[in-house]
Amino acid sequence: MMTDARQEILGAVRGRVRRGEGIPAPWRSRQHFEDLAARFSQTLTALHGEVIRADSSEDALNRLGNVLTNLGATRVVANDEPPLSGVDLAARWPEITWHVVGRTEGDLRAFCAGADVGVTGAVAALAETGSIVVNSGPGHSRMVSLLPPVHIALVPVSCLTSDLLTWAAARSGAWPANVTVISGPSKTADIEQTTAIGMHGPKRVIAILYGE
Amino acid sequence: MNDVSFHSFRAQAAQAIANAHLQSAIDGATLKFRTERKRVLADLPDVEAMRDHFKAMRAATLAHLDEYLEEFERNARAAGAQVHWARDAAEAQQIVIGIARQHGATLAVKSKSMTTEEIELNAALVKAGITPVETDLGEWIVQLAAESPAHIVVPALHKTRQQVAELFSREVGRPLSADDIPTLTNEARRALREKFLAAQIGISGANLGVAETGSIVLVTNEGNGRMVSSVPPVHVAVMGIEKICPTWDDAAVWLELLARSSTGQPLSVYTTALTGPAREGDPDGPRELHIVLYDGGRSRLLGTSYEEVLQCIRCGACLNHCPVYQEAGGHAYGHAYSGPIGAVLVPLLVGLEQYEALPHASSLCGACLEVCPARIDLPRMLLDLRAEEVARGIIPPPEQLIEKSAAWLLGHRRLFNALTDLGRVFQRPLVSKNGLRVPRRFNPAQDRQLPSLAPRSFHDLWQELAAEEAAAPVPARRRRPSRRTILTVAGVSLLPLALLWRLLRRKGGKR
Repeated sequence: MMTDARQEILGAVRGRVRRGEGIPAPWRSRQHFEDLAARFSQTLTALHGEVIRADSSEDALNRLGNVLTNLGATRVVANDEPPLSGVDLAARWPEITWHVVGRTEGDLRAFCAGADVGVTGAVAALAETGSIVVNSGPGHSRMVSLLPPVHIALVPVSCLTSDLLTWAAARSGAWPANVTVISGPSKTADIEQTTAIGMHGPKRVIAILYGE
Repeated sequence: MNDVSFHSFRAQAAQAIANAHLQSAIDGATLKFRTERKRVLADLPDVEAMRDHFKAMRAATLAHLDEYLEEFERNARAAGAQVHWARDAAEAQQIVIGIARQHGATLAVKSKSMTTEEIELNAALVKAGITPVETDLGEWIVQLAAESPAHIVVPALHKTRQQVAELFSREVGRPLSADDIPTLTNEARRALREKFLAAQIGISGANLGVAETGSIVLVTNEGNGRMVSSVPPVHVAVMGIEKICPTWDDAAVWLELLARSSTGQPLSVYTTALTGPAREGDPDGPRELHIVLYDGGRSRLLGTSYEEVLQCIRCGACLNHCPVYQEAGGHAYGHAYSGPIGAVLVPLLVGLEQYEALPHASSLCGACLEVCPARIDLPRMLLDLRAEEVARGIIPPPEQLIEKSAAWLLGHRRLFNALTDLGRVFQRPLVSKNGLRVPRRFNPAQDRQLPSLAPRSFHDLWQELAAEEAAAPVPARRRRPSRRTILTVAGVSLLPLALLWRLLRRKGGKR
């Protein structure tokens, strides 16, 4: 029956389409931002996100520590990716219970659901829309940037690009199972068109943008 | 879903117009979307050329839809997804229920999806003993109230905060205050978080599919799309067969235009691309990803003059700019798809007979065409559907009678002339300075007038002209009125008849 449906639908489509012109040549972004980092920061801030600038990956880790202290975070889940991979988080911040994805034993989902903060890196950042792009993969959980009330992303300046179009055009290689473009904290305006932050995802998104 | 007759559309619209809260909610939301849309589209360099490109891309994809569907299927399968095909709503429901049963699912979490509204999946799941929970806040409100969405982007547009507080209080089992919307939202977050963690299956639609990688893309602001595709062990996505694009370059253009046209955001908060289920070594994610490719009458439209409607990306811009939608509200359309796109799509997918009123739910002002990211010519299709109704006799009997009588009368010139002569005599008591006074019964606000019959008919004037021409032949080119003049005069003489017809129809609707 399943095959029938497939054949019938494809047959109907094939029998009815009017072959016209081919797909037009790809549309290329015409955006131009003088300062990608400035545009990214400005846009993400306008979207109720927060941006902290850091000079180096070491500086980024220090600033991460400051943020965690200020938040009073006690349970933090982190993806095993640069610049966190290779850092002994438990030794550096012993007052925090850490779950490092793929390295710490135990139920990741349950930990994420009870964590104060999720920390990730980023594979790309889009200046136009103030977006952070995260991938799934070994050591890269989908839930770290989703379930905890605060998401901190460590974003290297080098991964900044102008916009979604330039990112899609420049991207190469296979697609991981889950690629998510995050533009600010979760929000809704479904009750009387009043914006409320933090519907299902994080209520705060903090990008620590670091250069070398 | 309900049939929408002329009578029921007018009755529902009249209710909506009388509902002051609803009117101000629609005005507020649509004004905000219109303003923001304009603002963020202006940020895109050469946005008009970009829309032209997008339209050409959508049209070209549809012209090769079979090839892209096969490419999509091949790549989705290569990535580990299971692809299913459904000809109609019943088949799509059975596929989803089958997958749920296979996993012993009793609780399903759903992200916002118009396609699953279209196939009425929730009712089918309930019948099969599976509890569906809508997790988009607006959809959840509508589900708790046992209603249908009032707007394709803002489903609970019609609900007040008091009504929401009541519904949530009942759900969580303790009284919640309507004063504080962030608290209400937080309560919903907590209640729905439990459902996400408990559900054995996540169900979503898909904003688009990308053929070159077999990926589907989910776009949400709240994160419900991410939750249903990340937390439960099984994810099922139902996608219309027309929502395919060839490459990621094309998908990027689609996404650059989607949220801008919809809510006036440059991008929605979350744009998630899913390429197969969790891979080996992934710390989390669904073990299975099922994609249901749903036809539901779409393939039938290919190659017809209505094919263009399949370029729609469900942004809702046409609703936000439609004067009829803004007054009538979404529920008058009697289907999950409302506004101009619903007025065209629903009669085409479900049937013109059941939705006879929808092609008339438009003033043909053209705003929908102007704002559509794919420049879909909805006004043209509304007219085509109206013509089809006339050709197929799908109009109310009184209107048919009026049309037939008018046609007959216009075919009998002497009788027509005699009647208009009589009319000239009998209209006298009703003629005022500006035209005919319309009796209060038909014109309660006394703000309407009909033009009176001209002192002399066009026919008389024409004959006189012809006689003059014969008597004193001057160069015919100068004497003969231009074709435009003739048409204008003819049009003006028919105007009273047309207005009278409209007036009668309007009156009929109020009864």
